[in-house]
Amino acid sequence: MSPDQLVKAKEESEELGGYFIVNGIEKIIRMLLVNRRNFPMAIKRGAFMKRGAGYTQFGIVMRCVRPDQTSQTNALHYLNDGNVNLRFSWRKAEYLVPAMMVLKALVETNDREIYEGIVGAAGSEGLEDKQFVTDRVELLLRTYKVYGLHSQAKTRAYLGQKFKVVLQIPDDISDVDAGTEFLRKIVLPHLGSNNVTESQDADKFRMLLFMTRKLYALVEGECAVDNPDAVQSQEVLLGGHLFGQILKEKLDEWLNSLRLPLSDWGRRNEWPTFTSPQFQRDFIPKILRKTNENIGQAMEYFLSTGNLVSPTGLDLQQTAGFVVVAEKINFYRFISHFRMVHRGAFFAQLKTTTVRKLLPESWGFLCPVHTPDGSPCGLLNHFAHKCKLATESVDVSAIPGLVARLGVSSRSSASLDASVVVQLDGRVLGFCSPKQAKAIGDTLRYWKVEGTHGVPLELEIGYIPNSDGGQYPGVYMFSQSARMYRPVKYLPLNKLDYVGPFEQPFMSIAVTDPEIVSGDSTHVEYDPTNILSILANMTPFSDFNQSPRNMYQCQMGKQSMGTPGAAGRYRTDNKTYRLQTGQTPIVRPPLHNEYGLDNFPNGANAVVAVISYTGYDMDDAMIINKSAHERGFGHGTIYKTKICDLAEGTGKSRSARTVSKLFGFAPDGLVMAKWRETLDDDGWPRIGTLLKHGDIIAAWHNVSLDPGSGEYINRDGATQFFKYKEDEVAFVEEVRIIGSESGLDPCQKISIKLRVPRSPVIGDKFSSRHGQKGVLSQKWPAVDMPFSESGIQPDVIINPHAFPSRMTIGMFVESLAGKAGALHGIAQDSTPFRFDEQNRAVDYFGHQLMKAGYNYYGNEPMYSGITGQELAADIYIGVVYYQRLRHMVNDKYQVRTTGPINQLTGQPIKGRKKGGGIRVGEMERDALLAHGTAFLLQDRLMNCSDYMKAAICRRCGSFLSTAPTVPEFDKKKRGSSTVRCRRCATLAAGMESKSDIWTDGQGIRYTGGSDVAVVAVPGVLKYLDVELASMGIRLKFQVEP
Amino acid sequence: MSSYNPPSQTAQVQPMISESARSVEYTCGDCDAQVSLKRGEPIRCRSCGHRVLYKQRTNR
Repeated sequence: MSPDQLVKAKEESEELGGYFIVNGIEKIIRMLLVNRRNFPMAIKRGAFMKRGAGYTQFGIVMRCVRPDQTSQTNALHYLNDGNVNLRFSWRKAEYLVPAMMVLKALVETNDREIYEGIVGAAGSEGLEDKQFVTDRVELLLRTYKVYGLHSQAKTRAYLGQKFKVVLQIPDDISDVDAGTEFLRKIVLPHLGSNNVTESQDADKFRMLLFMTRKLYALVEGECAVDNPDAVQSQEVLLGGHLFGQILKEKLDEWLNSLRLPLSDWGRRNEWPTFTSPQFQRDFIPKILRKTNENIGQAMEYFLSTGNLVSPTGLDLQQTAGFVVVAEKINFYRFISHFRMVHRGAFFAQLKTTTVRKLLPESWGFLCPVHTPDGSPCGLLNHFAHKCKLATESVDVSAIPGLVARLGVSSRSSASLDASVVVQLDGRVLGFCSPKQAKAIGDTLRYWKVEGTHGVPLELEIGYIPNSDGGQYPGVYMFSQSARMYRPVKYLPLNKLDYVGPFEQPFMSIAVTDPEIVSGDSTHVEYDPTNILSILANMTPFSDFNQSPRNMYQCQMGKQSMGTPGAAGRYRTDNKTYRLQTGQTPIVRPPLHNEYGLDNFPNGANAVVAVISYTGYDMDDAMIINKSAHERGFGHGTIYKTKICDLAEGTGKSRSARTVSKLFGFAPDGLVMAKWRETLDDDGWPRIGTLLKHGDIIAAWHNVSLDPGSGEYINRDGATQFFKYKEDEVAFVEEVRIIGSESGLDPCQKISIKLRVPRSPVIGDKFSSRHGQKGVLSQKWPAVDMPFSESGIQPDVIINPHAFPSRMTIGMFVESLAGKAGALHGIAQDSTPFRFDEQNRAVDYFGHQLMKAGYNYYGNEPMYSGITGQELAADIYIGVVYYQRLRHMVNDKYQVRTTGPINQLTGQPIKGRKKGGGIRVGEMERDALLAHGTAFLLQDRLMNCSDYMKAAICRRCGSFLSTAPTVPEFDKKKRGSSTVRCRRCATLAAGMESKSDIWTDGQGIRYTGGSDVAVVAVPGVLKYLDVELASMGIRLKFQVEP
Repeated sequence: MSSYNPPSQTAQVQPMISESARSVEYTCGDCDAQVSLKRGEPIRCRSCGHRVLYKQRTNR
């Protein structure tokens, strides 16, 4: 739809979609980093040894992806004796098969062919140095003889017989066919998973040989391991691909579920044929109906919970957390969700930090700045803003022919120095010399950029040169989807080229033009800022800042109160924040406009003076000018939606509900004038009403259906209410009356949008765009603010101590640029890496200031607003863009002296909502002890907690034996103040003086036990005593003095 | 409409009159048409059949 149509449809004008709406919540399937497809990765992992006796840590892992984007991981394991086993998972169970058996089953072959395929052609170069490999291949071939399987058909039959049950292959299929099915489904399915031809089987055979070869090279130390944590060996699991995989699996499940009712039907009707009219008639009502075909529901479950319910596990390491809510706190937050990529929930619990490291391979693909700090640090990344994702495969039909013409042959030598592999999407195209490999890589790249010879521009041509024990050499080409790629300039043609993360580490890409080395650099970056994410690019002059500050800004930009969207009027989010007085930043990069961020302002420009003025700006506090506040600086609003549902809690399903309540005042009841203060005739709140705590927001009454007239009749005449329960005042913004689904039943549900005004108050959080957050500490009257010679007063005062340790020079530059921009009426370009030592930012903006008649360096003489005297130092004053963060004291303050307590212990409960307390824990206690503040300690831990007066018997030292006396005759005077110890008392004999005798609650008369004292103890002490007593342990206290 | 609502009489006819006077104006969520509803009427726009109505801002 066009923006105009979108606006008319009550949507954002620039709505791009890309998310699902499930129960009114926007959900996105988040992208995951997974192993690169169709590339055999050399892995060394200690866990491999757990597979069984003889297994070593060496392995080759390949994630094979079928054309429908489902994947199957094949791994080769090296055993101590030189054997190689193929491992795969099928329906969450792992299986191991000798690689030799698979090789023999794939094609009709012989030992010599396998031997030469792994080691290299007989008589080829370097064979004599390959003692290690030859020994092992010999052993490989020899040990396989024990199976006694001598032909392809026999091997297939053997495999088929073993895996028939596992793969759920019907019994009436022959073992050989089952073996073929095994090879089709499991062995390197990327080379053929459907109608597998003989040549595809040969491809699989060659690939498996290559994998074995690489495995031996790894064990021998000829090549290094591939790093699975580097973006080089990763690709992205796209939401659509995952969705498709789940859909396929659900359909498959449903198809399988057809079997049972089908055979059931067959048995009952004496097995008629599928072409019979009887089948035609019965199929839909009698067979199909018995299956659960509600796949939509399964997909909805996935989207709403993000949980994956799957019998196969989809070759993934996690089962939950695939879907996240696309929060619309502000536009930065929203847009970041679409560029977010997670490493996988499995890695979050890993103790090691290796997976979280920022690796140089990520250059240009993942933003080095934009990752949260804390537990998801380094796992939750964001794409660089120029990084693209391939969503389709490109046409590579011309590549094999071109490669063959460039001198690739199927014969390989034993030595890597003589021949290296050429692969396309995990298919071995052939072998050539390392020199030729480089030529192939270079030539194909030239053609690819040129757009000739049918080489697509998006093709990734990974040329890995020969090295001394480095990555296994060869030319590896990738054309399929889910890859990352990014634009750079190809120097020989001065044209756009796309590079992928696999090829990038072996290319020479200059960052800037001066860095180009003649004869070495093949590419140059279009812009050094291409490595940053959208948000990181919005930090002005981020190259001047200490790097963590830029990370903080990426976090805070996403928490600021901004503009979530223009269609907020039509939305009913539970809670949204909105900044009333948003402005476009004066200092901004051109990308700000490119991404249309001006439509969603995220803060306001403020005149900021860096000065220690009142003492209220200590420790990251900031002072704002009271007049700026009154002009609306940082004024925000929270919109909340409350739903009043009469059918709630009836517990029935939506269809079975009967109407038992109706909105409105009871027709025959009394309507009090007080009620009408907030409510209208219809019992719903008036628009614009101010609501306070406890105000009524909707009226309802009980009804029952009169069967005669079909009307709902109220019998008690009583009106009941929904109440506004929050402490803050709010205005009724909107009342939506939601009719029943049938359109006939009376209304059962309304949705009320409330507007909570949030003007800045002391304690609210603000930040500049440089990770410099602070708390508002005072609204200082304008008359007392310092002023400059031109009469300018700052809107915001911050303390100079915020700078030395944080080194956010970018903020100084922004201040300078903002000031110059405001004076000249221009938007300043704040793109990082635009200035250098020769060409300084200070000079650039200083000149602008000078031309406007201001001090070159941005500082000005200022006068105290209180005394009117000139301040001793010149003050650095300029214009900085300030964000208001959504953390506000009104949502956070917590205070109590007394309040609700836990019933059992008598201690305060926790939780701000319930009016609870904040725990004074062990460490706080230690601090109070160390300060010697005994009174405070007593006050916190006793008087404000579970202070209790308890009676204790001095003689027996027990709390539990004391009991209040009950006057014998005067029952009204219960709970008398006299307390006696029953344990120390003796039964009255009857001759004691009347004043010595006391009675307990049962009327038994005692004498003695009067040595009782009342002490102040923590309530839990008595509770502890009771608990211990229940276990037969008596506590005895010595009461002194 | 006055803010004072006398409790309705016991007679059967009278509440009908007082209730019909008590119709409230709403706006359709889809076509912005005026919808006037009385107590107990189903929630539905008369012109487009939309089932979400908005209350209008009034000053009684």
